[in-house]
Amino acid sequence: MTGLDYKRYLRRRVVNAFNLTISMMAVAFALFFLAWILWTLISTGIGHLGISAFTKMTPPPGSQGGLLNAIVGSLLMVVTATLIGTPIGILAGTYLAEFGRGGWLAPSTRFINDILLSAPSIVIGLFVYELVVHRMGHFSGWAGAFALALIVLPVVVRTTENMLQLVPNSLREAAAALGAPQWKVVVMVSYRAAHAGILTGILLAVARIAGETAPLLFTALNNQFWSSDLNGPMSSLAVIIFQFAMSPYEDWHHLAWAGALLITLFVLGLNILARSIFRKGNNA
Amino acid sequence: MSQPTPRNSHALLDTLFHNTTRLFAFLVLALLMGIMVTLTVASLPALKSFGFHFFVSDEWNPVTQQFGAVVPIFGTVATSVIAMLIGVPVSFGIALFITELCPAWLKRPLGIAIELLAGIPSIIYGMWGLFVFAPWFADHLEPWINDHMSTLPLVGHFFEGPPMGIGMLTAGFILAIMVIPFIASVMRDVFEVVPPMLKESAYGLGSTTWEVVWNVVLPYTKVGVVGGIMLGLGRALGETMAVTFVIGNAHELSMSLLMPGNTISSALANEFTEAVGDLYTSSLITLGMLLFVITFIVLALAKLLLIKLASREGKQS
Amino acid sequence: MSELHLTPPHLMHPEYPQETAMSEAKKIEVKNLNFYYGNFHALKNINMDIPDNRVTAFIGPSGCGKSTLLRTFNRMYQLYPKQVAKGEIILDGENVLDAKQDLNLLRAKVGMVFQKPTPFPMSIYDNIAFGIKLYENLKKTDLNDRVEWALRKAALWNEVKDKLDQSGTSLSGGQQQRLCIARGIAVKPEVLLLDEPCSALDPISTARIEELIHELKTDYTIVIVTHNMQQAARVSDYTAYMYLGELIEFGVTDMMFTKPARRETEDYITGKFG
Repeated sequence: MTGLDYKRYLRRRVVNAFNLTISMMAVAFALFFLAWILWTLISTGIGHLGISAFTKMTPPPGSQGGLLNAIVGSLLMVVTATLIGTPIGILAGTYLAEFGRGGWLAPSTRFINDILLSAPSIVIGLFVYELVVHRMGHFSGWAGAFALALIVLPVVVRTTENMLQLVPNSLREAAAALGAPQWKVVVMVSYRAAHAGILTGILLAVARIAGETAPLLFTALNNQFWSSDLNGPMSSLAVIIFQFAMSPYEDWHHLAWAGALLITLFVLGLNILARSIFRKGNNA
Repeated sequence: MSQPTPRNSHALLDTLFHNTTRLFAFLVLALLMGIMVTLTVASLPALKSFGFHFFVSDEWNPVTQQFGAVVPIFGTVATSVIAMLIGVPVSFGIALFITELCPAWLKRPLGIAIELLAGIPSIIYGMWGLFVFAPWFADHLEPWINDHMSTLPLVGHFFEGPPMGIGMLTAGFILAIMVIPFIASVMRDVFEVVPPMLKESAYGLGSTTWEVVWNVVLPYTKVGVVGGIMLGLGRALGETMAVTFVIGNAHELSMSLLMPGNTISSALANEFTEAVGDLYTSSLITLGMLLFVITFIVLALAKLLLIKLASREGKQS
Repeated sequence: MSELHLTPPHLMHPEYPQETAMSEAKKIEVKNLNFYYGNFHALKNINMDIPDNRVTAFIGPSGCGKSTLLRTFNRMYQLYPKQVAKGEIILDGENVLDAKQDLNLLRAKVGMVFQKPTPFPMSIYDNIAFGIKLYENLKKTDLNDRVEWALRKAALWNEVKDKLDQSGTSLSGGQQQRLCIARGIAVKPEVLLLDEPCSALDPISTARIEELIHELKTDYTIVIVTHNMQQAARVSDYTAYMYLGELIEFGVTDMMFTKPARRETEDYITGKFG
């Protein structure tokens, strides 16, 4: 090495050390906020998340109550949405992975699906409002469930396709070589090989809609009272949290924190469950 | 006719299965069309009454039934720009750390932590923002911003105003925290497709880690990095709940980022169910359609860039 | 510099008679080198001296550790966790494996070219200038001269002199590999490590690279890993045969290919083996 410029080298080392330190600070920044948010949730929410949260209805301002009707409404709509969105999503994902080679439909659907995956959920709410609520003349749990189903759909399409793509072609060929028709190959071989991954996708979709608020505002609206009738307005945890947190009443704030902790525990629990199922499925 | 032989029934089932899956794949496409058409039809009354004026007027008055989109558009763009200004460098730092510096044992826990940040529902960010972050921001950061940044030339008046904690700067900051996991994980993924040999060649010349990342990794992955940023931008533009809590819902045009404002999505969340009259509703839906079109363009660009990177990767290996 | 001692075979297996030690200046001394990928013991007690201004080839079946050995000379392995080298590698009197060793300076002194061409995503000119600018503060004209010098050395100048601002990836595979060699020598290293540099190239490009290696050895100490025995015979002065992480035999190339001292070596080069 001729003409080594030590001053320049020193400067490079300093720049390197400085930038790498900044990079570590970026990580610390993100972790700091994660910790702060979780700490706030747990420390504020835990004190108000008693038995009564699960046994009493949402109260009028100034009195004691719980979140029972909201929890039930959320569960009803999430389950209904999953039941509607999952089969459609799996079948559409199957087309993309198993039949879609060549042709325009699969690439366009894949493209649009990825956009719907990140599309603003409030627009989905507007769409369902126009399509369902406006025509039926009233808000309803069905409309809420339908809006959530539209959010489940792209998640399931995407994971189903990805997981089916991971199934080795040799497995399909082996089944086809035995004389199995294609639908049997898909149902008996591909789905079986990919079931852990697809289940993971469904769980992640459920986690996603469990905390969704925006699409429910104009569809299921809200309901202060017990209702298991999907034909009428229905309360949900997320919308109750929104309403209570934005209110000026202390009691309502407490319930909102309890609900926020509950939703977060549920969503993060689902994420962890999904991850462990996926890992177990992959190891098996 | 005789009974169908098993072979025939299989052929029938095959066709049936194939076409059922195709129908549902088509349904996904139709969903997009459906959203476009429905929203367009519903926004016609507003577009008919205000025409192009809707997009350039900052008036929003339900009493006189005059509606213009400038305030929420400005708020949407301003909060997203703030989110990107903070979120992109932080995400880059995180991706750099995970791909180049992170010890092996820390990679998994860190990945999980970043995913947790992405998994927290947006309403939680909103609530935390309203009750915890905004007051802290008002007490600790905004006075400093008032003192030091409002005196800057050109951008100074962005930072004038009372330290209330609620406003566009707060909303943008919370959006930044929300989009960081999305941008960081795309960046990490594209950084990891850089062939190790390419990085080794740069190290082999005696480059420092920073020089390898800045001169080789980043140029090699720039298409994907921009794709990731656009993905984050798409999220930030459309995010509703986190913003609605802390933006203050004011339909007044203010240059100060410390003042309350409005975004398209927060206007919808706050006003839609209370909107009286067809014109009001239709104006809100027009805002929604505008949001959908903007995010569609941004997300489509993001997707195209990521596809481009993936195909280039396929050709090279 | 002291005398070069080829590792006498008797040190590895006592039953073999000692060859006469050749008198060559040595550039790198490897002493009791062991290498581990996690729990896997990849290099077992390697001892050898790499002669100065000569071409030394490492041959052996895949997985024998020849690339691993090469990558210890510039500590490239250290980019990856769980890869550990123990022992000594003395380059110009300094232990490369010393924790205090400055990695960036070491790598500027020991250049490396890889199995596949790795042009950086920048122009041809910048590909060469990149490494120079890391360590030297040259005037624009001097920098231009140096880039031209490196490209001429790599026998690429005539092909690219009119398109220096085009992307490095626009070149053909053989040209890209010569660009990478030019990039490696532009920083004026003392040692050049070539890790199967022709494995992704066509025969004509391979021939040009081999010619180049021949010319470069007047200025550089070159170590080349190759799976191609004919190539080793053509380009190298010394050859080391490795098997399962051990150095089986190391000697003058002509001797190795005509009168190998060890049975294992003979089996390998005559093709009785893998």
